[in-house]
Amino acid sequence: MAEETYNQKGRGPGREITRRDFLKKGGAAAALATAGLVAGSRVFAAEEPGAATGVKYAMVIDLNRCFGCRACMEACKVENNTPEGVFWMYVFRFEEGRYPNVRVSYMPRPCMHCDNAPCVKPCPVGARYKRADGLVATDWKRCIGCRYCEVACPYSVNYFNWGEQQKRQYLDWQAPEAEAVRRVTNGAIPPYKNPDLEGAFKPEERYIGAGSHLKGVMGKCTFCVHRLEKGLLPACVATCPVQVYHFGNINDPDSEVSKLLHSRPTWQLLEELGTRPRVYYIGGTPPTSELRQIEVVGGRKS
Amino acid sequence: MTTHIMQKLPYGVGQWSRGAKVAMAIALVIVGVGMFAYSRQLAQGLAVTGLGDIGTAGGSAWGLYIAFDVYFVGVSFAGITIAALIRLLNLEQLRPVARIAEGLTIVSLVLAALMVIIDLGQPGRGFVNLLRYARPQSPFFGTFTLVISAYLFASLVYFYLDGRRDAALCAQRPGRLQRFFRLWAAGYGDTTEERERHNRTAWWLALFILPLLVTAHSTLGMVFGIQPGQPGWYSALQAPSFVVLAGVSGVGLLIVIVAVLRKALRLENQLDIRVFRWLGSFLWILTIAYLYFMIIDFLTATYSGGSREAIIFGALISGPYAWLFWLTVSFFILSFVMMFGQFAARRYSISLIVIAGVLANIAAIGKRDVIVVPSQTHGTLLPYPPGAYTPTWVELAIIIGLFALGTLLYIVFAKVFPIMEIHPGRHEAIPHEEEAGKHWRDGRIRKRMFILTLMVGIILAVVGFSLTAPLGPTADPMYSEPRIQFAPLMFVAGIIITLLSPVVYELFPDKREVS
Repeated sequence: MAEETYNQKGRGPGREITRRDFLKKGGAAAALATAGLVAGSRVFAAEEPGAATGVKYAMVIDLNRCFGCRACMEACKVENNTPEGVFWMYVFRFEEGRYPNVRVSYMPRPCMHCDNAPCVKPCPVGARYKRADGLVATDWKRCIGCRYCEVACPYSVNYFNWGEQQKRQYLDWQAPEAEAVRRVTNGAIPPYKNPDLEGAFKPEERYIGAGSHLKGVMGKCTFCVHRLEKGLLPACVATCPVQVYHFGNINDPDSEVSKLLHSRPTWQLLEELGTRPRVYYIGGTPPTSELRQIEVVGGRKS
Repeated sequence: MTTHIMQKLPYGVGQWSRGAKVAMAIALVIVGVGMFAYSRQLAQGLAVTGLGDIGTAGGSAWGLYIAFDVYFVGVSFAGITIAALIRLLNLEQLRPVARIAEGLTIVSLVLAALMVIIDLGQPGRGFVNLLRYARPQSPFFGTFTLVISAYLFASLVYFYLDGRRDAALCAQRPGRLQRFFRLWAAGYGDTTEERERHNRTAWWLALFILPLLVTAHSTLGMVFGIQPGQPGWYSALQAPSFVVLAGVSGVGLLIVIVAVLRKALRLENQLDIRVFRWLGSFLWILTIAYLYFMIIDFLTATYSGGSREAIIFGALISGPYAWLFWLTVSFFILSFVMMFGQFAARRYSISLIVIAGVLANIAAIGKRDVIVVPSQTHGTLLPYPPGAYTPTWVELAIIIGLFALGTLLYIVFAKVFPIMEIHPGRHEAIPHEEEAGKHWRDGRIRKRMFILTLMVGIILAVVGFSLTAPLGPTADPMYSEPRIQFAPLMFVAGIIITLLSPVVYELFPDKREVS
């Protein structure tokens, strides 16, 4: 490329050297642009990372079973010590129609762990990345806190650590009822601090657990990678009283999720965006603009 | 010609008048307030801002910081464009404002870089990790390599080389700044040969920077334009309209600064109505182009009836952002009408042109805000309730502090360096300190050194980029780690060394003592 044309230096009248050199520079710029195009086109290439080999996790959510108890939300908060107002797992409660013809429906919303994740692509430092086993992971030791993943995510599953987290649970410790909790538990259980969240995870040896919710970094559902490592199911799956969630290896044809996906009609959230989520829904319908959310859980913003 | 030594340095350089001192003191106080506000943010995190999580928390993860970052980068449009127009199209009428515009570019890019760092949750990591792990798939890669590094550095090089002649002239007069000027001039003698050489480099540099200008502003537009997850952002018009809006705000602010300097330094003769007429014409052409983009965008979003785009536009037209949206639109139209009216009537008033420039800038800031925020609070694709975003005093204090910092930098710049070329037409003979020896092989060493710098820079940049970008059979299409750590740093260093080659070309000493 540029190096080859360079051999001609020093030839010809001196006056023209800048012009010729500019052409070389232009050639190099063109080479750079080509390289950029190649790199760019690869961004859009539709390849399935880690396809057909090894473990690839997927979640199937049976909406026919869900009755919106939100126990999964609570389990997630306790397991991952998420701060107040942060819902890595969130359950929508919807209402549709006008009285007396009203229908109520529920829809859990974890991170979709997309194969073509809109949050992975724009991360400027590669803190958000896609693992071979299908998880979309956040390296909280590398994250610089630009929040690009959050604005890029169509499902709004990211929660930024806006400030220092003192409280580890969904409980206002200044409130009078906190005193009662403290007396019952003898101060021992809440705030419960999960010891497995920090530390590096195999095979990349990166810090992709829930972490300590460090100020200024991004957090989101990890599919409880610290539990998967021990052979346990994610906390929301394990806690659901009516087995709404099915979780397993989609590459194994005998796994529960594979069988479900082959036997029942499934849909995915916002399929039209081409994100190819790892979370499938069976039963129910995709949410429409006719749905009104009721019993919204918000909480503190920071 | 006679050796002309100035009695006083021109354009108020080195004379710290009372007005300048008072202005600097006020600016310093405001910068101090901004720094205090930032210290709060450092201590308590971004929780002190009005930002919040998108979705269940009903917030906006990006807010005024990003809007103003886009604005500051946009303003930098002015300097390079003016320089390119002068160099490539021989637009001599704009020559008096060339350096004013370049100063604006450099100051605004510094502010933009600071704004990005301020927006980060982990600013310390930001510095290191961007140079260590940056990925070309992210639109931010373009922002930080092309805008912050290449654009800023190219502007600095252009500015430095263009200022050597005046530095040499100023260095003739003894004073406190003499050493500084001498260092800047670096042996410039204003010979015909040197002038030709400089014209040549400036021409090529301008030609090189012009595509950089379009690319840099487009990448910034693509930060928003290629996100399918946010209705209102996802549009092919985003990149070109960012380039145009950058022009509107850049030229508008340049008009204001030229008017202020004209009054402050009594340059009524040099900066006459012709300069304003040219800048004003650019302003209205760019403004009408932007209004055209807005109308097309509006029609595309509303006609098809896509429900999500409709929600965003509803929020803009009659929702919570209506006041800001209509203020923006009316200011654009007002600015256009004021300028176009003067153009059509062929009668110009400087104060009207300045008002048009101010309006265009307020409109540009407002427009950036209504691009960034509503898509986050109202554009969620799942049925979350609509959110809200109100900036806190910390955000406002930091942004006003940045403006004050910019003003401060600009005053310092105007006080240590002439903001306009000194006797641009005249050929000044500048006596040399060193005794001129014989030409040593007709400057062949110079050319070799120039080519060497250029090639080292280009090779570093190419190697750095290919080590950064996901190339090759094992590369993941979506995610990449740099092949070696700090490969992005290599790429940026390559760009900077490439841009240094014109400096080598102009500065490398030709004349050597014959031994």
